[in-house]
Amino acid sequence: MDGCRSGVPTYEGDLHVVAAAHHIVKALGATKNLSDDLRKILIDLDSHLSMITSNIDSKGGRGLVDVEERLDQAERKIMRWETDPMMIWDSGPKEASDYLEAVDETGKLVDGLRGLSVHENRKQKEILHRAMNIFQTAMSRLEEELIHILVRHGQQFEPKNMYSRSIRKDIVYDESFVSVEDEPTKETSSQNCSNDESGECIVDLVHADVIPDIKSIAKVMFTSNYGPEFCEAFISVQKEALEQYFSFLGTENLSIEDVLKMEWTCLSSKMNKWTWSMKIIVRVYLASEKQLCDQVLGGLGSVSSYCFLEISKATILCLLNFGEAVAMGPHRPEKLLRLLDMYETLADLLRDIDTLFSEEAGSFIQLQFHELLERLGESAIAAFKAFRVAISSNGSLYPFAGGGVHPLNKYVMNYIRMFPEYWNTLNLLLKNQHPGVADQVTKPDYGPDTSLLTSCPMAYHLRSITSCLESNLHKKSQLYKDEALQHIFLMNNIHYLVQKVKGSELRLFFGDEWIRKHNAMFQQHAMNYERATWSSVVSFLKDNNPGSSSMSKSTFKERCKGFSIAFEEVYKTQTSWSIPDPQLREDLRISTSLKVVLAYRTFLGRNLAYTDDKCVKHTVEHVENSLLDLFGGSSRSLRNSRRW
Amino acid sequence: MDTQEQELEDIELFQKHVSDRFTELSSPPEDDALLSVSWLHRLLDVFLCCEAEFEAILIMDRDPSQLSKPPFDRLIPEFIERAVKALDICNAVANGVDSVRHCQKLSEIVISALDQNPLGDGHAKRAKKALLMLLSAMNLDDKEGTHVKATERSWSFGRRGVNKEQIAGHFRSLSWQVAKNWSSAKQIQSMMYNLVAPRGAEASGLPSPIYTMNVIMIFVMWALVAAIPCQERNGLPTHFPVPKQLNWAHSLIGLQEKIADEWKKKEKKGMSGLLDELQKMEKLAQSLIDFTDSFHFPGDAEKVKEAAANVSELKEIFGRMDQGLTPLQMHIREVFHRIVRSRTEFLDVLEKGSAPVV
Repeated sequence: MDGCRSGVPTYEGDLHVVAAAHHIVKALGATKNLSDDLRKILIDLDSHLSMITSNIDSKGGRGLVDVEERLDQAERKIMRWETDPMMIWDSGPKEASDYLEAVDETGKLVDGLRGLSVHENRKQKEILHRAMNIFQTAMSRLEEELIHILVRHGQQFEPKNMYSRSIRKDIVYDESFVSVEDEPTKETSSQNCSNDESGECIVDLVHADVIPDIKSIAKVMFTSNYGPEFCEAFISVQKEALEQYFSFLGTENLSIEDVLKMEWTCLSSKMNKWTWSMKIIVRVYLASEKQLCDQVLGGLGSVSSYCFLEISKATILCLLNFGEAVAMGPHRPEKLLRLLDMYETLADLLRDIDTLFSEEAGSFIQLQFHELLERLGESAIAAFKAFRVAISSNGSLYPFAGGGVHPLNKYVMNYIRMFPEYWNTLNLLLKNQHPGVADQVTKPDYGPDTSLLTSCPMAYHLRSITSCLESNLHKKSQLYKDEALQHIFLMNNIHYLVQKVKGSELRLFFGDEWIRKHNAMFQQHAMNYERATWSSVVSFLKDNNPGSSSMSKSTFKERCKGFSIAFEEVYKTQTSWSIPDPQLREDLRISTSLKVVLAYRTFLGRNLAYTDDKCVKHTVEHVENSLLDLFGGSSRSLRNSRRW
Repeated sequence: MDTQEQELEDIELFQKHVSDRFTELSSPPEDDALLSVSWLHRLLDVFLCCEAEFEAILIMDRDPSQLSKPPFDRLIPEFIERAVKALDICNAVANGVDSVRHCQKLSEIVISALDQNPLGDGHAKRAKKALLMLLSAMNLDDKEGTHVKATERSWSFGRRGVNKEQIAGHFRSLSWQVAKNWSSAKQIQSMMYNLVAPRGAEASGLPSPIYTMNVIMIFVMWALVAAIPCQERNGLPTHFPVPKQLNWAHSLIGLQEKIADEWKKKEKKGMSGLLDELQKMEKLAQSLIDFTDSFHFPGDAEKVKEAAANVSELKEIFGRMDQGLTPLQMHIREVFHRIVRSRTEFLDVLEKGSAPVV
C-alpha cells in the first residue's frame, strides 16, 4: 500500500487540513503564557505536520527516503561513539553538540514517524524501529556521559579553610570531681564558632565550566522522558561524593549502643567534631549541592528538590542520629558544655535547614532537626541540674590536708568560668525552668548594663551554684579540729572563689555587690584566724601592769618560756598549712607580723634587764623571719636562734 | 490484697490482648499478605499498643522502689539494654527501606519503558537495563565489602565496554551502615541472649509481662530485619527460645515459624528481603528480563500479552510501595521515639526507686 497516504482520501483535502492545522499551531505558539508541557505538544505537533506535509508532497515514497537519509546520518553520528574508547564530552564541545544534535534529530524522527499510522507500511515500521533503537542507545550513552562528567569534574574543598575550628580547650573532668587539673589561662572565649560566620559559603562541587554540559544532557533526557534515568545517575554519583566527603571529615557512623557506652574523653571529642562537621556539611556542602541541583535541574519542577533530598538524606540522618544518641545518654555534669555547643550549633543551623529542605518531602528532615534541638536542650538542663546535685553531694570523710584550695572548688569555678560564653543559650533554656526569675535581656554589645546581667536567669543560677559550693565548703571546714585551720581553709577557698569571679566575665553576672560581700567574708576569716591562733600566744607578752616599770624576773622567764613554746608549736603546726595565693599569704604574714613582732619587741624592750638571759630563746628578727616560713605547706620545727 | 488482685487481672488482660493481636496478624486479609508493607504497618501498630499497655502496668501508680528490688533490679536494666539494641535495628531498617524505595524507583523506569503500545526494541532495551539494575539491587549481598563505588568504575576514565550493571544506584554506601562491623543478625542474637521465661512464682507476677514485652520487641525487630534488607543479615537466627506452653505466645510463635521457613528457603538463593512486595517484584522482574532478552519487534503476541500482564502487576506493586514505604519509615521512626521515651521512663523509675544519694 502506498505509505505516503496518511489515510485521508484526497490529496488536496490533505493539504488543506494540514495547512489549517499548521496555522492553528503557529497561532497557539505565539501565545505568551504557555506551559512547558503545552509548548512541547505544539512542537511535536509541528514536526508531525511537517512530516505529513513532506509525505504528501512527495509522491512515490520520497518522503520516507528523506526520513531514512536523515536517520542514517544521525545513526552514523551516534553509533560511531559506541566503538570509540573516548568519552564524547571529553573530546570537545563540537563533538558534544554534534552528538546532541543527532540525538535531537533522531528524537524528532521518532516522534514524526510515530505520528503517522504505523500499521500501514512495513518500511515505515522498520525505520521507526531502527530510530527507536538508536534513540535508546543514545540515551544510555548520555547517562554514561553524565556520570563521567560528574565524576571527572567533581571537586572537593578543603574544610580547614572554611571554618576555624573552635579552640576551646578540652577540659577533662573526672567523674569523681576530685582529680582535676587547674588550667586557668588557656581559654580564649571569643573563638566560639557559632558567633563567627553567619552566611553560607557556596563552592563549586562540580567545575563551573561543565554545568552547561550537564544542563544540556538533562534537557535532552527529560524531554525524552528519560528523566528517571538521569536522576538515578545524578543522585548516585552525588550521593557517593557527599558520603566520601563525610568520611573524609573524620566523622564516622556510630551505633547508639556505642555512643551510650563511650567513655567521656572519647565522647567529648566526638561531640566537638560533630559540631564542626555539622556546620561544614550544612552551610557549605549542602548549600552548594542545592545550588548545583538548582542550576542543573531548575525549571523542571520538583525534580531539583527531589534529587537534593535523596542525595543528602542519609548523611543528615546519620548526623542527627549521633545527636539523638548523645541526648539519650546519662546526664553527667561534665557533658554540659559540649551539649550546649551542640545545641547552639543546631540552633544556628535551623534557618539554613529550613531553607534547604523547604519542600514538603523535606519537612521530615526539618522536623527531626527541631526535635533534636529540643532534646539537646532538655539534656543540657538535666546536666546542669546534675551539676548542682553533684556539688551538694560531694562529701568528704577527712579534712583536706593543709587547708588549701579544695579541688571541688577548683573544678566548679573553672567550669562555670566558661558559662558566660553560652549565656544567651543558657538563659533561654533556664528561663523555662524558673518562670519567676526576671527575663533575660537582649545580648549587649560589650557595654553592658551590669544590673541587667546580674539579674538574668543564668546569673541567678550561677549565684545559686556558688552558694551551694560555699555550703559544702563550710561543711568541709567543720572536719578540722583546729578552729584556726577552719578559718584558713575558708579564707583560702572564698578568696579563690572571688578571684575566679573577678578575673573573668563572671564578674558581670555576679556583680559588684556580691564581690564586695565575699571580699569581706574572706577577710573576716583571716581576722578570725589571727584571733584564734595568736591571741593566746600574744597574751604571754601582754603587760598586765602598765603602770609599773617591769615585771619580776621569774614572771619574765615564765612568760618568755610560755611564748617560746606557744610560738614553736604554732610554727610546727602552721608551717604545714597552705595559703596558695602568694598575695594572700603575704598579706596575712604582714598582718600577723605587725601583731606579733610588735608585741614581742615591746615585751623585750620593756624588760631589757633580763634579755641576756638564756630564757630568751628567740630574737625579734628570728621571730620575724620565722613568720615567713608559715603556710609553706610542709611542717618544720623551729631552731633555737641562739645557736646561730 | 486488692491491688495485687488487680495487678494479676491487668497482667492477664494484657496477655490476652497480646494473644488476640497476634492472632489477627496471623490471618491477614487478601491484600495484606504476611510481610507486605501494610502488614508491617499493622505489626508496628501492634507493638505500639502492647508497649503502651505494658508501660501502664509496670509504671503507673506504682511505687518506684518496688522495681528496684530483685528480680526487677536485673529484669528492668536488661529490658532497657534490649531496647537500646532495638533502636539501632530501627535505624538499620529505616535505612533499608530507602534501598527498597530505590527498587521502587527502578521499577518505575521498567514500567514506563514497557507500558508502550506497540512495544519497540528500544523500549525493551531500556527496560532490560533497568531490570538488570533492579535485580542486582535486590540481590546485592548486604555485606559491607560489596560496595561498588562510582569512582572506581573503569569507564569513568575513558575506557569503555564496562558492565553496565555496575553503573549507578547501589546505595550500599557508607551512610547506609549503622556502624562499621555492625550486624543486624548479631544484634538480634544478642537481644535473645539471656531471655528466660519466668518460672514458678515469678510466672504469675510482674516478671511475666516483662518477659512478654521482651519477646514482642525481639519478634518485631526480627520480622523487620527479615523483611527489609539491612546491614549484615547473614546468620539471622531462625529459632526463638519461647516455650510453646505459654498461652499468649501461640500465634506469635506460629508467625515466627512461618517467616523463619521462608527465610531458610531464601537464604540459599540470595539475600533480598522477605518483604512481600519485593518478593513479587523479583519474580516479575525475572520473567520480564527473560521477555526483554528474547524480544524482537514486533514480538510474539502471546508473550507480549503476558509481559503486559506482568507490567500491570508491577504497576500495582509500585503503587503499594509508593503509598506505603515513606509512611513505613515514619512509622518506624515513631516506634523508635516510643522506645526512647519508654527507656527514659524506666531509667527514671530506677533512679527514684534506688537509695537517694547523700
